[in-house]
Amino acid sequence: MTQKIDKAEYEKRLKRISELFSSMVVHADELSTYRCPYKNRLDQCTAKFGCRNQRRPPVKGDLLLCGGDDKLDYRSAWETQDEDGGAPGR
Amino acid sequence: MANIADIRNEFLRDEIEEFLERPEEIERTVGVFAQARPAMQDIAAALIEGENDTVDRLTRAALDDGIEALEIMDDGLIAGMGVVGIKFRENFIFVPEVLACARAMKAGMVHIEPILSASGVEPLGKVIMGTVKGDLHDIGKNLCIMMLRGAGFVVIDLGVDTSADDFIDAIEEHEASLMGMSALLTTTMPNMGKTIEAFIDADLRDDVKIMVGGAPVTQEFADDMGADGYGKDALACVELAKNLLSAEVEVP
Repeated sequence: MTQKIDKAEYEKRLKRISELFSSMVVHADELSTYRCPYKNRLDQCTAKFGCRNQRRPPVKGDLLLCGGDDKLDYRSAWETQDEDGGAPGR
Repeated sequence: MANIADIRNEFLRDEIEEFLERPEEIERTVGVFAQARPAMQDIAAALIEGENDTVDRLTRAALDDGIEALEIMDDGLIAGMGVVGIKFRENFIFVPEVLACARAMKAGMVHIEPILSASGVEPLGKVIMGTVKGDLHDIGKNLCIMMLRGAGFVVIDLGVDTSADDFIDAIEEHEASLMGMSALLTTTMPNMGKTIEAFIDADLRDDVKIMVGGAPVTQEFADDMGADGYGKDALACVELAKNLLSAEVEVP
C-alpha cells in the first residue's frame, strides 16, 4: 500500500462528515418528538424490545409493523419489563 | 454545466429526480456525481441503499485499482451521505435508514483507516460504547456512535444489555481509555453506577474516563454515580469525548 493521505485534507473531510451528521442528529431529535425513532420508512419496527404498538407483519419473518399513529406519545407503549422481570424483549 | 444524463449510475439519477427538490442542491449533487468515476457513483449508490457489504467490496476494489482514498471519500462516501442527509431532512427516510447508511459508510472507511495510519494520521481516540445491562434501547447510543466515528474516533460498539464485565473486558482488550454508557429507562440507570463500581473493584477506574447519557440521565445523576462526564445528546457526546481525552493528555 503506497498511498498517503494528507492530514489537513483528511480533516477537511471529517469536518464535512461531522457537519452532515450534526444536521441529521438535530433533525432526528426534532423528529423523535412525534415519530418513534425505531420506526423505519416502511413503518416497520426496528426495536429490540417489546412495544404495545408492534403488530404482526403480513409476511412471516419480516420485521414487526408499527401500529403507532404518531399522534400520542409513543414512549408510553414501550415495554420496560418482560414477564420474568428481566430485560424487555420480544 | 453538468447534466443529470452525465451520471452513469441509473439509481443515482433516479434518486436525484425523485428526492431532491431544491435547485441549488440538485445542481450541486448532479455536479458532483457527473464528474465522478462510475466506480465512485456505485459506492455512493450502495451507501444510499445502506448496503454495507457492497460498499465494503467496492471500496476495497477502488483502492486496489489505485484510486485515491480522498477521492473515494469525496465522490463516493461523502457524496452519497449528502443525498442521505437530504432524504432524511425531507422525511423520505428515517433514523433506522440513516443508521444503516452510516454503517455502510463505516464499511468503506474501514479500508481507508490503514492508509491513514500509514500516513501518520491517528484517530482522535478509541471509545467503547454500550447500552447498560437490562436496557435494549439503542437509538441514542447509535446516533452517538455515528457522530463519534464521523468526528474521527474509533468506536467499539458493545450493543445493548451490556454487563459491567463486558465493558471491563472491552476496555482491556482494546486498550481504550474512554467509554460511554447509555440508558433510556429509569429502572436501568442504576446499572451505570454499578458498572462504575465494577471498574473501581477491578482497580481500573483511574485508567478510563467514563461518560454517560440517555433520556432520563442528568448531570446531577452522572455526578452522583461518579461518571467523568454527561452528554445530553449525540452532539454533546462528541464534545465531551474530545474534552475528556484532551484533559487526559494534559494531566501528567
